[in-house]
Amino acid sequence: MNRNSLAILLSVLVGTALIAFFFFGSEKEVDYSSDIKPILNKHCIACHGGVKQSGGFSILFEEEAFALNESGLPAIIPGSPNSSELIKRLTHSDPELRMPYQRAQLSEEEIDLLKTWISQGAKWGKHWAYEPVKNPEIPQQIQSAGIGTSDAPVELSPIDQFIREKLEINGMSISPEEQPLRLLRRVSLDLTGLPPSAALVSEFSAGKITYNQAVEQLLEADTFGEKWATWWLDLARYADTKGYERDVSRTMWPYRDYVIRAFNEDKPFDEFTIEQLAGDLLPNPTQDQLTATAFHRNTMNNDEGGTEDEEFRVAALLDRVSTTYEVWQSTTMACVQCHSHTYDPIRHEEFYQSAAFFNNTRDEDTHDEEPRLRFYDEEQQGQIDAVLNWVKENEGEKAAKTRSDFLKFYEPKYAAHLATDFNRSELIDTKWLGLWSGGSAVYKNIDSQGSDQMLLDYSTELDGTKVTIRKNGAAGEILASFVMNNTKGGIVREIPFTPVSGAFDLYIEASNPKADPQQNTSTIVWFAFVPKLKGKEKQGYEQVAETWDELLKFRGTKLPILIENPPYMARKTNVFERGNWMVLGEEVSPKTPAEFGAWQDEWPDNRLGFAYWLTSPENPLTARTLVNRIWDQIFGRGIVRSLEDMGSQADLPTHPEMLDYLAWKTMHEYDWSMKSLIREIVSSQTYKQSSTISAEAYQQDPSNQWYARGPRFRLSAEQVRDQALDMSGLLSRKMYGPSVKPQQPEGIWQTVYNGEYWTQSEGEDNYRRGIYTFLKRTSPYPSFITFDAASREVCLSKRLVTNTPLQALVTLNDPVYLEAAKRLGENSWKASAANAEKAIALTYEQLVLSKISDSKKKTFLDLFTTAKTEFTNDTTALGEFYKGAKPEVAAMAVVANAMMNLDEFLTKP
Amino acid sequence: MKSLEKLVAELAVQRLQNQTRRHFLRDCVSKVGGLAMAPLLFGCESGLTKKAPTGLNLSERDLNPLAPLASPFLGKAKSIIYLHMAGAPSQLELFDFKPELVKLHDQDCPQSLLEGRKFAFIRGVPKMLGPQAKFSQHGESGAWVSDYLPHFAKVSDEVAFLKAMHTDQFNHGPAQLFMQTGSPRIGRPSLGSWVTYGLGTENQNLPGFVVLTSGGKTPDAGKSVWGSGFLPSVYQGVQCRSKGDPVLYLEDPSGMSRDLKKNVISAINSVNQEDFKTFGDPEILSRINQYEMAYRMQIEVPEVMNINEEPAHIHELYGTKPGEESFANNCLLARKLVEKGVRVVQLYDWGWDTHGTDHDGSIDMGLRNKCREIDRPMSALLLDLKQRGLLEETLVVWGGEFGRTPMQENREGKVQGFKGRDHHTDAFTMWIAGGGIKKGASFGITDDFGFAGVDERTSVHDLHATILHLMGFDHEKFTYDFQGRPFRLTDVEGELIRKILA
Repeated sequence: MNRNSLAILLSVLVGTALIAFFFFGSEKEVDYSSDIKPILNKHCIACHGGVKQSGGFSILFEEEAFALNESGLPAIIPGSPNSSELIKRLTHSDPELRMPYQRAQLSEEEIDLLKTWISQGAKWGKHWAYEPVKNPEIPQQIQSAGIGTSDAPVELSPIDQFIREKLEINGMSISPEEQPLRLLRRVSLDLTGLPPSAALVSEFSAGKITYNQAVEQLLEADTFGEKWATWWLDLARYADTKGYERDVSRTMWPYRDYVIRAFNEDKPFDEFTIEQLAGDLLPNPTQDQLTATAFHRNTMNNDEGGTEDEEFRVAALLDRVSTTYEVWQSTTMACVQCHSHTYDPIRHEEFYQSAAFFNNTRDEDTHDEEPRLRFYDEEQQGQIDAVLNWVKENEGEKAAKTRSDFLKFYEPKYAAHLATDFNRSELIDTKWLGLWSGGSAVYKNIDSQGSDQMLLDYSTELDGTKVTIRKNGAAGEILASFVMNNTKGGIVREIPFTPVSGAFDLYIEASNPKADPQQNTSTIVWFAFVPKLKGKEKQGYEQVAETWDELLKFRGTKLPILIENPPYMARKTNVFERGNWMVLGEEVSPKTPAEFGAWQDEWPDNRLGFAYWLTSPENPLTARTLVNRIWDQIFGRGIVRSLEDMGSQADLPTHPEMLDYLAWKTMHEYDWSMKSLIREIVSSQTYKQSSTISAEAYQQDPSNQWYARGPRFRLSAEQVRDQALDMSGLLSRKMYGPSVKPQQPEGIWQTVYNGEYWTQSEGEDNYRRGIYTFLKRTSPYPSFITFDAASREVCLSKRLVTNTPLQALVTLNDPVYLEAAKRLGENSWKASAANAEKAIALTYEQLVLSKISDSKKKTFLDLFTTAKTEFTNDTTALGEFYKGAKPEVAAMAVVANAMMNLDEFLTKP
Repeated sequence: MKSLEKLVAELAVQRLQNQTRRHFLRDCVSKVGGLAMAPLLFGCESGLTKKAPTGLNLSERDLNPLAPLASPFLGKAKSIIYLHMAGAPSQLELFDFKPELVKLHDQDCPQSLLEGRKFAFIRGVPKMLGPQAKFSQHGESGAWVSDYLPHFAKVSDEVAFLKAMHTDQFNHGPAQLFMQTGSPRIGRPSLGSWVTYGLGTENQNLPGFVVLTSGGKTPDAGKSVWGSGFLPSVYQGVQCRSKGDPVLYLEDPSGMSRDLKKNVISAINSVNQEDFKTFGDPEILSRINQYEMAYRMQIEVPEVMNINEEPAHIHELYGTKPGEESFANNCLLARKLVEKGVRVVQLYDWGWDTHGTDHDGSIDMGLRNKCREIDRPMSALLLDLKQRGLLEETLVVWGGEFGRTPMQENREGKVQGFKGRDHHTDAFTMWIAGGGIKKGASFGITDDFGFAGVDERTSVHDLHATILHLMGFDHEKFTYDFQGRPFRLTDVEGELIRKILA
């Protein structure tokens, strides 16, 4: 825009404003986002936006709203409400013409707002969440008396100032500070997922450390990462099985460990984002950065017979796009898969332009879930170095890098499901190539990169199968010829191959007179092209070749990861018409939605660029989303309540300036440190308030959206179990490694065509933290599901907290909880020198960190007496309940069982 | 703090009132065998509009998300029993009689049926496979039912057939999800969850949505077919098992008597009451309610799940043998559960995937045996519900997730050792009976091969729309807001099947 047109525009705007002022008196400026968009979304957009554009009129995008519609006129004439068709139609006397058609008329206030908006120039605006994050002014009030435990004034943090301002508007005020030990328990549960250790409790109660020092200790504890990783793993849909019908196990735990370490190291959120979305595209990625990309390999993988891998590769791709937008942009993309968004300005093709960033990874829903990152041990790493040094010397850096990559993740390679033109051959269980004797199949458009060697992954129990590979067909040049003998399990074999330049069709045939007519001579999994080692004439070659052969037998941990297609394998991306992957629309290239912040030319057009775009300070949604979700973890509700969506249909933020303040600070002052953000929140008076509530206060704000009291809600599934184990001393502090299978009732796993069993873990693995419990998507650990944990098939932004009798049955009767109660009861009995009253007080105080009242003590003493009498009179019952225990100890176990079911124990105070 | 004291006083008065109520004495005391604990909040009876007596203006639903609600309009049915045959039974051997297919048996499949189509396992040109069962017409309605289902043939006048059902998923997992949640992808609430969310349940001592499985396996799609998706998890199906505890962790620890458990729960709730007085958080009232319900559930669930006490003629009718995990036992349990006020009972019977790869999976032998397992019990279920006057208010739905091909399966181009049919999306039969259903109706006509519907085709969404209608919901208005938009069981589709409504 040049200066002149700007001046004209300005004068027009000023003019319009002046006219508006004269006509509408002192009316304030109508804001599109907060005043107009909600009316349009509520009444108009169902017929005039996105999919439907009745009368050729849509009010979703700005240019559509002001365009000529079927009548040849625009619906909105800025400055002239009364000549705008939009206004006329709202009040038309003919019911056929009056809008909304056959629905209730808009209210007078709504019509007046629309009129004012048009007369003020019908200024279009962005939805608040798509505006860049600004650093807002903090409402100033230096101190506030009467808050805190003493009468001394307490300094209010910026968070408190924002909260105080809204509380005052709503006629409420902040509550006094929570009792110190209850507060300590709250912050410990929030930061580490566990109650504070006895040592921390004693230091804190003795006044040796302050609240802030306790917070520092908790932030530095290893348990911090375990707690916060649980939140992230819900978003990442992390599980230990593939999902769908067969739902067999997969190795994903190294990714879980990466997430725990990332939280403990306080990895900045931008780095955390870039590594997970595009770690493989970073220059010389580390093992950790490659591990991070498993984030998007948590998508489900379908092994059901008769399913087409491409269909489920596409399903995974679409899930990656939707998940990325939900996790980082609080944006729901599900609608846009099929049509332009109905409410938010995101176009149908923009979804597929985003998909184009993610559509070029090597994974293809194969059964083996390649590409997988190999985790070599130290000795193997030494062997790899030896091979790579040899290649570097004999072929140079580039060849060494190619071979190094191959050893890391075995790519690029061609999977069996690419085979076509089956002639006396089949795709076994729609997964692997099986050639019958005299049979053949074709792999189209193969590029061997001129390699003189093929690697073939296969297995067979037959001896003497002759296999021939030809170029372009049955009569083509022979490229390789070899005999397959019984492999006794799967092998990767090196096969000399005639170098071919450029793409060709690979024709493969097999014959074995000993095979039955319809018997598969072998099961072929994949092939790849890796040249023979050079330098055969040199000394040491034999040794290196042998080491290489040994490395190909790798049987260790393999983690599914993202690896980008080399250019000769690149896929094109098309729009799917109406979301159907079989009906391809126009081809699209990678591009981010116009509405969500600018793209910078220096960013590469791939996932890495996409990750830079997400973490750029210009992106309006990433930091707001992060702040909103961390706030929710602590307060039990988001500043924007709908965590999964900040679009124009979402709830408005209760404290928009505070959201922006924290988002700005996280990016610009904290440099994306999540620990800093969490520290700021838990150090506020808002957080430290007492959670006690009066009936009046409850009536005024039942959901505590204005924060006149502290957060109080039931613990999460993992916390409920971890806390019980911790309090009884059973909890193992072992970190990391393969997921464990603690005790669960028999008959939970009944998956079809699966053949896997829940084999209970041994020793301390039965008592690990919940985050390490094996998660089978179709049959998750039963007590976790009962307490609202996710089955992790898809991304979950928020666990809904419910209360059902089934939960009570878990904590009352599940053997895990019973064992914890027995242990706890016995410990207290010993510690109190066999004094029931003391033992009761001790147990209670240990569990909830408050003194027991006389009435509660009496209640439990009565229970103790009843139980003791019963166990004394009925020794059979005693033996069944607690073998070898004295009646008193068994009675203490009953008391502990009851205490571990108290609301106060199951709830964050 | 004064007002809180008032609240608690009110609570105590209400408790006394509850204790003196007749229904309370009848419904609670008898159930808990004299161990009655005074329900603090609502008593045992259900109420649609009751407010909790706390002065906090909470509805019963605020404290108990399963409290019953009235449907938007008066539904014909109050509860649902859904019999899902996981694996997909062949319509061509059971209900959809095709004399033309008899003539075409063993001939090459016409190209017109294969062009532009994809099957799960059929490759190339398969042979046609004639019906392997004998068909005849039954009852006043003249319904075609094969000799695989002789008992059912006698009650076929009670049901309405949907003979031109179609789906768009030909793999078990996605198709089961589609049938049960209206979407082939995981993450949507199941039909049972929607209904339980919308109506709550009548009996607070039992789960509102019960799932029973037989055939030794859970359905291919796993527990998501009774999952609650984005609805609160309290609305997901509760699997009741025939071995071990019927509901997980239902049984008291061994050596702990009922009396002692009662004392444990009384202690918990009395302390929780004191905490409510101190902290004022209504969540504590939910917790109190939750523990009372758990205690009552511990008594009522084993009672309802025990079929030993049923009279001999009932066992005879259903063909039940106590202690087994069988479809027959599950049918009898389903009747007992709806009788007790459970909202939705979902049965899954596994083992209907008849590809012809082995004896059990053959159309002529395996399928016949599977039919023997369900024929008597499902017919008995209809008769038993009817004789108790329950059929008028219960919807009974039967079907698989898709149909089977009129062609003989030739997996990977191989000749199969047994007769089998591949998965098929274009035509299959379901039936539905009970509250609001026109008896003896038949809707939908397929072509001469039974390959595709030619008239009155019925989609999965249509079926869902009709079930919701019978439960008192307009499927287009029954929504739940998630991700910034209202979601429906029927997505943006679904037409009421008016011709099968009474």
